[in-house]
Amino acid sequence: MANMNYWSRRRLSRRGMLRGAAVGTAGVAGAVLIGCGDDDDGGDDGGGGGGGGGTAAPDGGAGPVKGGISSLVSNPVYDSVDAHTSVSSPVLTVTSRAQSKLLRFSNPNSGEVAGDLIESWEVVSPSEYVLNMRQGVTWHDAGPGADNPASTAGRPLTTEDIKWNIERQQNAVFADGSAGAFGRSAYWNKVASVDITDKEIKLTLKADDATFVEGLANEFNTINQPEMAEAVDTNFSEITPDKVIGTGPFILTEWRPGERVSGVRNPNYYNPDRPYLDGFVYGAVFEDPTAYRIGFEQNQIDRFTDPDPDTTLAIGADKPDTTNTKWQGVANTVAAYTNTNIAPFSDLRLAKAIDLSIDRRLIIQQLHNGFGRVSGPVAWLQEKWALSQEELETRPGYQSGAARDADIVEANKLWQAGGGADVGDISWTIAQSWAARASWNATPELIVGMFNDAFSTSQFSAKTVPYGEIIPSWSDGTFDNFFAWIANIEIPDARADMQAAFGTGSPSNFWNVNQPDDIDAPLAASVATTDIDEALELVTGVQRYILDNGQFGRHICYNYIFPAISWNHYHTTGGAADEGWNFIAASLDGLDEWLDQTESTFSDRQHPTATPV
Amino acid sequence: MGTYILRRLILNILVLWLVATMVFLSIRVLPGNYASQQFAGANLGGVSSEAIAQAERALGLDKPMPEQYANFMGDLLTLDLGESFRTRNSTWSELRKALPYSAELGVFIILVGFSVAIPVGVISAVKQDQTPDYILRGIAISALAAPVFWTASIAVIFVLEWDLIQINVTGQPHVWSDPWGAIQWYMIPGFVGGFASTATVMRLLRSELLEVLRQDYIRTARAKGLTERTVIMRHAMRNAFLPVLTVMGLTLATLISSQIVLEQMFNIPGVGRMLFRSITLRDYPLFQGLVIVTTFVIVTTNLAVDVLYGFLDPRVRLS
Repeated sequence: MANMNYWSRRRLSRRGMLRGAAVGTAGVAGAVLIGCGDDDDGGDDGGGGGGGGGTAAPDGGAGPVKGGISSLVSNPVYDSVDAHTSVSSPVLTVTSRAQSKLLRFSNPNSGEVAGDLIESWEVVSPSEYVLNMRQGVTWHDAGPGADNPASTAGRPLTTEDIKWNIERQQNAVFADGSAGAFGRSAYWNKVASVDITDKEIKLTLKADDATFVEGLANEFNTINQPEMAEAVDTNFSEITPDKVIGTGPFILTEWRPGERVSGVRNPNYYNPDRPYLDGFVYGAVFEDPTAYRIGFEQNQIDRFTDPDPDTTLAIGADKPDTTNTKWQGVANTVAAYTNTNIAPFSDLRLAKAIDLSIDRRLIIQQLHNGFGRVSGPVAWLQEKWALSQEELETRPGYQSGAARDADIVEANKLWQAGGGADVGDISWTIAQSWAARASWNATPELIVGMFNDAFSTSQFSAKTVPYGEIIPSWSDGTFDNFFAWIANIEIPDARADMQAAFGTGSPSNFWNVNQPDDIDAPLAASVATTDIDEALELVTGVQRYILDNGQFGRHICYNYIFPAISWNHYHTTGGAADEGWNFIAASLDGLDEWLDQTESTFSDRQHPTATPV
Repeated sequence: MGTYILRRLILNILVLWLVATMVFLSIRVLPGNYASQQFAGANLGGVSSEAIAQAERALGLDKPMPEQYANFMGDLLTLDLGESFRTRNSTWSELRKALPYSAELGVFIILVGFSVAIPVGVISAVKQDQTPDYILRGIAISALAAPVFWTASIAVIFVLEWDLIQINVTGQPHVWSDPWGAIQWYMIPGFVGGFASTATVMRLLRSELLEVLRQDYIRTARAKGLTERTVIMRHAMRNAFLPVLTVMGLTLATLISSQIVLEQMFNIPGVGRMLFRSITLRDYPLFQGLVIVTTFVIVTTNLAVDVLYGFLDPRVRLS
């Protein structure tokens, strides 16, 4: 079970780490931290409820059965009722249950997709796709959204609806003509034209793009009902359930941020075999480990995760026969960023020095108890595309032991060559929402201590700043050097992410990396080709080039994982240990969750009630 | 008395205005605002400064500070405390939801606290410097010294280990809708909070009683041949209880908003937790409204206690 997986075998306790540090052998400690050995992940691939077929029971027991209402933990804040204008993953946990997409991931770890509102698709050429719309799909005919006069309850889904959703995001304007922030606008602007018939949608891209199909399964790419969206779009941040109508497996009946979210089965869902559940309830917002512990141990919630993994693991260890612990990678990549747009870090030697000096494994150990794995320019969660852990172990900045000592020597040479003490005081910004977490509140001291130690200086100091103050400085290139985590993974295919981050002229290339020959051209070729081996080779080459150049100031460090514990009666497809299934697979939760009513833990459970339609 | 009350009322209005101004400024001094909290953890490429500006416009945070203050004060004069940024419900309606939970917990705490503190305080005073006094004072000091989160955590461990009661952190029942469920839910925070307040009241009552018991009129009462019980309960307690009454009043008022730790630990959606969350999320209207209402309750309770004091003690009324 959980105690026998990669992570638990390879981690050191925090106390153990401190003991190691106390004897002054940081290099030795680094050598035994996680992620430095063989990649013996193992584990099942989590099944995969593709195409609307049945899903095998994850533990090999009886198959899924219908019935029951899941009881989960809610989020305190949602930024939008509309996934198109949302930038935060909590929204997806709600919208993915009520709304469908054109495709969905059947296995987010591998990138396999299955039909959702699109029953099948044809790749005419790498720039031409014909999508065959599923017939007989209707919008919800009951619930707060259907009762909203702005919506049309129960009407059939049309290809016009889909075209409207694409063009809306391409144009990135609201119904009143005002500009909106549509996060997937760049993706949809790859489309040159949308031609529809009653049953088909023909998409012609501006250029060949082998990553396009996967993007259709992006959890943010939900299909909204046009008349409803137009009526409520400028009030998207006012969270109420009557602004949501969909074609998804559940009808949203309640959405009270910070309190409760619930929904009931959509009886008209196009797949009569799904969902398994009669409803779902996100019934509580816990802000204290005690509340988590009480809620779970007294079987009031079926599953929970806590930012501090120790609580979850302690419960699992205490109840090994009645609970399951599943590890999930977090699609938030942790990184340090130096602003190479302005002096002094416009001198790439300093950026390289910083890249070499970051002790990624130390940070994982100190902040995450060892539950994480180093990432290169492509996060390890995007396993197919990422450099292997073995290779990273040999790359400067990622090494341990004596090799790391050599890295530090090299870092100091670069630092001195770039100015050293003459650079002056350097303030390093830590995102406030990161440093505010109890288990991570040592981050400012840890980060600046790491730099000061590496360069034998006291030039570095830390300050904590809200994201709201950091973000505006990204696009104009004036940001302070900062350490934070970013949700930079939306789909398993890393090619588009790489282009966005490092492509010349990309709106997300805040470092203004401009490498037409070594980055732009190979990435463009990798996106255009349908030969996956060729694409992998190109992306791998670009990653190595980026690493050789100190990641151009975008110092990706790692992705952490966290344990999620559930009672035996609760099942979902989910991912195996080491897999990165979290919000990029949100729609699978709605389809694949089921409750085993024969388990003793089910009968002991407090059964929630979803708000009816 | 009428002039006194009027003077106090005017003073209270001034206090409320000062508090309102301070909360308006203090919450804005904190870095970030609600819009930025929404974007915490956002996609690096997905958020632009336009998106943040758009959210700020929707919340009215783009307006100059003096304009925001003028609007806030204008609304306050009409008792409009604004709408929560998070839920878009009025602060009054948020308060209506949270207040019953805090009141239920507060009543539980007071019932536990005072039902323990009063007899213990009396016994400790009557048995001054004897073994029961030492034991009770030791317990009281321990209760005062132990942080509530610690005692509550210990209690939770015991309850979970032996499955003693069902702490309904997800159902959040009210006493009137599910009395037994609510009592079980409030039991640990009620006892922990109650015992923590016991120490203050018990020690206050003890010292007041000791003072009163040395008075001439107590000696006279004993000389009259009254039983010790009558002397204590009828003659000593009435005078010794006056300061305790003040503490009771203030405890009642502050309990409503001060049980942040217990409300967080037991997922009680009361005023304290709402206040805490409004600060962390920079929900300005909710924070401002809650502080102002809490201040109003405290100053009004204070005034009520002072007036009540006058009725209980003629010397106060005369002065």
